Amino acid sequence: MHVAEREPEADFEPLLQLEMEMGTFLSDWHHCDQLSTFVARMISLNRTDPVRHSNFFSSALNELLEVLFRGGFPDGQIGCAVYRQGPTERVKLTFPCPPRQRHFLNEAVAKARRGDALARYLDSISTDLAPTRDAVLLDLTINFDALIHLEDSAPSSITLVVDLPLEGIVT
Amino acid sequence: MSSVNPPARFSAEFDANSQEFSLAGVVRPRSADEIATSISTLKEAIEEVRGVLYINVKRLIQMNNTAFHAFVRVVLDACRARSDLRFVIITSSVVGWTTRMFAHLNKLDPQITVEVYDSKFYPGQNFVENTSFIPILRTQTKMTWRHERAILPRHGMRPGIVMADICCGIGDFAVLVQKDFQPARIVALDHSRASLAYARDVAAGFGISGIEYTYGDASEMLLEGNQFDLVTCRHSLQIFNRPDVLLGELYRICKPGGRVYVTNEKNSHCLGEPRSQSIQWTYNEVAKLFSHFEMDVELGPKSRRYLADAGFEDIIVESFMVTNLDGDPRDFADVIMAWEDVYAGEMAVKRGDSAEFIQRFRQGFQDHIFAALHPKGYAGWPIWVASGRKPL
Ligand SMILES: C[S@@+](CC[C@H](N)C(=O)[O-])C[C@H]1O[C@@H](n2cnc3c(N)ncnc32)[C@H](O)[C@@H]1O
Repeated sequence: MHVAEREPEADFEPLLQLEMEMGTFLSDWHHCDQLSTFVARMISLNRTDPVRHSNFFSSALNELLEVLFRGGFPDGQIGCAVYRQGPTERVKLTFPCPPRQRHFLNEAVAKARRGDALARYLDSISTDLAPTRDAVLLDLTINFDALIHLEDSAPSSITLVVDLPLEGIVT
Repeated sequence: MSSVNPPARFSAEFDANSQEFSLAGVVRPRSADEIATSISTLKEAIEEVRGVLYINVKRLIQMNNTAFHAFVRVVLDACRARSDLRFVIITSSVVGWTTRMFAHLNKLDPQITVEVYDSKFYPGQNFVENTSFIPILRTQTKMTWRHERAILPRHGMRPGIVMADICCGIGDFAVLVQKDFQPARIVALDHSRASLAYARDVAAGFGISGIEYTYGDASEMLLEGNQFDLVTCRHSLQIFNRPDVLLGELYRICKPGGRVYVTNEKNSHCLGEPRSQSIQWTYNEVAKLFSHFEMDVELGPKSRRYLADAGFEDIIVESFMVTNLDGDPRDFADVIMAWEDVYAGEMAVKRGDSAEFIQRFRQGFQDHIFAALHPKGYAGWPIWVASGRKPL
């Protein structure tokens, strides 16, 4: 695992960045829990209520990592960077993504942003046996007030950008 | 990162007497199969109850969507199959995301209601969480620290430890600990938003960082188990109507081999000369007044038993007396004045005491102050310190 600083987003203060071989990440399901707990603790330390902020943040990040785990390809690297602007943390997850996957992901993100997100979220709770990727993104939108978009990074990878305004919800 | 499975951090239990199914801890399974036993427990509970099943998620620290969907599926199916059954889901105001996630279920089926549990834990809660309690806490800690600073190392306090101060009040103890003992991490938890706001202001004002002030219910904490080398809880077991429940939580979050440290009073043993009789009468009444609100401010000497019953070993008990000779006697007088304001000015009034009673009650505090400030007087406030080790 490699921890480093990197170029800040405009107006966003960089808090932390991790990189990991995708193969290593995918070798154990518990990495999702461990990474989200660790990252949440680190970035919440100077929030008003670090314990509750961290609990909330870990919940969201874990869902994102689980999505990556389930759809993950063992080649390349996974990157996780967290930035802050005011009450919002921005999570950027960069991971290898072949063109077909990219298309599905784009659709899922677009759906999570639509006006009927709540209705579709409720529908997914009442009908899906297990949560789909769409349901997880809806959960983040509805329960964490997340704003999600995608950025293209290197040709074979993609960056999922999730803004989480948790400070306001926690305190 | 290790690939060893973490110890069980999750529990799902059904209590037939209260018709309550409780989920607690962290549950992040890869598939619903991993929680099959817990799902069966829920199904059995549904079979067994009549009328209503309470689902308590107050202590659910983490639950991923996989687990959420699996549990909800069972509940929704039961709603369809059993029109006679209602579900009441109890979430905690402390854990934001559970409240939000579970709140939707009512929209899916009117047989499900969701309640957010908060405050009104016990009769005395309002007094101790009120801003008028702040002067009491501020003046008290100022007096007790000179004693506790010397005592704490015997109870496991040392630099570099990970510690929690539960029921931290205005957080002054945490600040003093951080300054004098430099622990690696301090979490300070309280359920009074007023006190926490005060604590954060003080920390910011003094440029102190690194104390993690957090809002929470000490009897159902969001903190994961087995993580602190030292858990302190000062003057607070005595204000809970169920001290054993609180102690159970302190035990849970303490590391095996770590220690839990509590301080408590025996108010009827406050003393002073001259005017000892009036003083003694008033403090006997203080004990009765608190017990009216289900608080036991006589708990100090009972802490050995409480710690033993909670499963601690290597229990150490000692006591110290804060007196008017500790420093400036006016500091001692300030403590008593703060007590008089709240005990006589608020609590006795709330109990409905007569004006005569309150006047006599106040007189004892005044006499205690008189003794403290008298050039030949002596005034004391005894405190019991107890700690125990959580077995390995
Ligand atoms: C007597 S004060 C002691 C405060 C502090 N330890 C001190 O010595 O200065 C009791 C504290 O317990 C807090 N408290 C009461 N009920 C609580 C609960 N259920 N969870 C967390 N804190 C609670 C009150 O807000 C108050 O700050």
